[in-house]
Amino acid sequence: MSVLEVKNLKKSFGTIHAVQDISFTVDTGEVFTIIGPNGAGKTTTLEMIEGLVPPDQGDIKFGELNWDKHSNAIKQKIGIQPQSSAMFDLLTPEENITLFASFYEKARSTDEILQLVNLTDHRNNHVKKLSGGQRQRLAIGLAMVSDPEIIFLDEPTTGLDPQARRNIWDIILQLKQLGKTTILTTHYMEEAEKLSDRVCIIDQGKIVTLDTPSALIEKLTDEREVRLSFLDGEDAAEDANHFSKNLTSVIRTEREETLLKLWTTNPEDTLYDLFGFTKEKNYQVEQVSIREMSLEDVFIAFTGKEWRD
Amino acid sequence: MNKMKQFKQLFIAQLKLTFREKQAWFWGIFFPVILMSIFMVIFSGSSETEFSANVAIVDENPNETSEMFYNQLKQLPVLEMETIEPVTREEAEKLVENQDVHAAIVLPESAEATSIHLIVNKENEQGVTAQALSGILEQFIQQANLHAVGATPIYELQFESITSGSNELSYTDFLLTGMIALAIAQGGMFGMIDLVEMRRKGLIKRLRMTPANMNLFGLSDMVMRLLFSIVQIILLSLIGVLIFGANLYINFPSLIIVFLLGALSFNALGYFFSSFSKTSEAYMGVANIVSFVMMFLSGVFFPIETMPEWIQPVSYVLPLTYFVEGLRESMIYSTSIFSASLWSGIGVMVLWGVITFFIGSLLYKRSSIVATR
Repeated sequence: MSVLEVKNLKKSFGTIHAVQDISFTVDTGEVFTIIGPNGAGKTTTLEMIEGLVPPDQGDIKFGELNWDKHSNAIKQKIGIQPQSSAMFDLLTPEENITLFASFYEKARSTDEILQLVNLTDHRNNHVKKLSGGQRQRLAIGLAMVSDPEIIFLDEPTTGLDPQARRNIWDIILQLKQLGKTTILTTHYMEEAEKLSDRVCIIDQGKIVTLDTPSALIEKLTDEREVRLSFLDGEDAAEDANHFSKNLTSVIRTEREETLLKLWTTNPEDTLYDLFGFTKEKNYQVEQVSIREMSLEDVFIAFTGKEWRD
Repeated sequence: MNKMKQFKQLFIAQLKLTFREKQAWFWGIFFPVILMSIFMVIFSGSSETEFSANVAIVDENPNETSEMFYNQLKQLPVLEMETIEPVTREEAEKLVENQDVHAAIVLPESAEATSIHLIVNKENEQGVTAQALSGILEQFIQQANLHAVGATPIYELQFESITSGSNELSYTDFLLTGMIALAIAQGGMFGMIDLVEMRRKGLIKRLRMTPANMNLFGLSDMVMRLLFSIVQIILLSLIGVLIFGANLYINFPSLIIVFLLGALSFNALGYFFSSFSKTSEAYMGVANIVSFVMMFLSGVFFPIETMPEWIQPVSYVLPLTYFVEGLRESMIYSTSIFSASLWSGIGVMVLWGVITFFIGSLLYKRSSIVATR
């Protein structure tokens, strides 16, 4: 069952067409991730859905509710963690949560929220004294005070160290267990791959592709990257490069000094042929690897852009 | 019910935020107190003491008449005798020459003599003290003359002052009320920096993402500011009255009206500044300039009438002029709330408040559409 339906969303700022035509639906209980290069229109899309920016065109529906008529009702059932993670710095986490809770008709207890985002020990410190990770966790906590059905997390882990990032992943997975719907944007492919039920890649204001992470990767699996490095120097690598270009399953090759990279539709056959060649020439192969395709490869394949962490 | 809960939490939050903001305490409480104390110490000394003149008495041939005059003169509180005993004319002339005394009074040399001489330094002949002394002596001699012929005066001068309280306006009262007005006005003009900071940090936007009632948010902020201003009034008044001996004759209905309208008007001014300031530095710049100009042109420290005439029209445009005036009316002159002069001044001030608030909200509306990404 869908909790959010977005149809033909468009938004321009002057001559910049930030969002050109975006449509998707989000189902109950799923983690729906929007990724895209900087300036792709992610934030604008989110802000339109969150009711902060009116779209030039298109529909946004939360079940039967829409922003024009049910603004308060929608705000009661969504929770937002914005990128800026703005909160009252001179108040404590506990005081921030209590204040935010007073805005909603129903709210979870402050203790519960503090526990969920693991800030019970810091409940009485002023927010300005919290670390980046603690602050971000509080921001997520504030998005959850009303026990919302849908939670928007806008780059919740940007700028955090690996441990803090993992803590936030745990929170997101916990939300999923609670049956909450999460709409996530992130800069980290690993994060999207690990957490998402479905990933939507946006570029230049349009949806480039939208599917589950594994399905997206599968779309690319007719092609795999195989790497071999040679102990006998560049000549051996170049020789092998020349040989592999004539193999039927190899699509293209690349050589960097003693390292040979090749993309093939059939890694098994290609390696079999290559090893036959190296044995015949008596070349010594130092390392062999078949690289797993990741969401990052999908991203590069679809947007033509290098991913910037 | 939900609104009450929300207002309560918002107000508690505002209270804590204000309490924990050291800047607010410094600029809102500490700074006005120090500024007022400095001005009071520097300027109130001379006007506190009444007029007095330092004189030497010459009585070279003590006689009945001179003794009578001498005893009478000693009764005059305005005369301070340089020496306890009368001096010779020579000594007296030297004292006058060296300006050790304002004047010397030469008493009649015999019981039959009828003149008293007043010796002043040529340099000070036209000075206020010399003039006042000759006036006092003139009066004194008139009395003596009447007494000598056994007449009782028919006409007399009754001195009255025209404050409704029993005291004249002293500089302490003047400065105290000026400082209170200045402190409240600055609180309003500088206080809205919070709004700029909240907007810059995205906190306003964050609140708009929740069902929080922004009107309640504004209201709680306003109530907090008014409370803070009440603390300012009470603290400054206590210091003024208890330490510097100011006299207040407060008409509470007038004070409450002037205070509320004044505080709101200056908050509106601050709100206006915040509407076009993107950073807190920009905001502080504007607030500083405006408050600096008003501080000196609105009769906070000195009466407007003492300023050059060409600059006075500027004073009569500034809202602080009318706030200061209104507070003086209600705190010193005990002016009734039904007085027309009170309201005409308040009117100008409120006009400023209404216009700046209106322009401010227009700018906010416009920028909230443009500034969002």
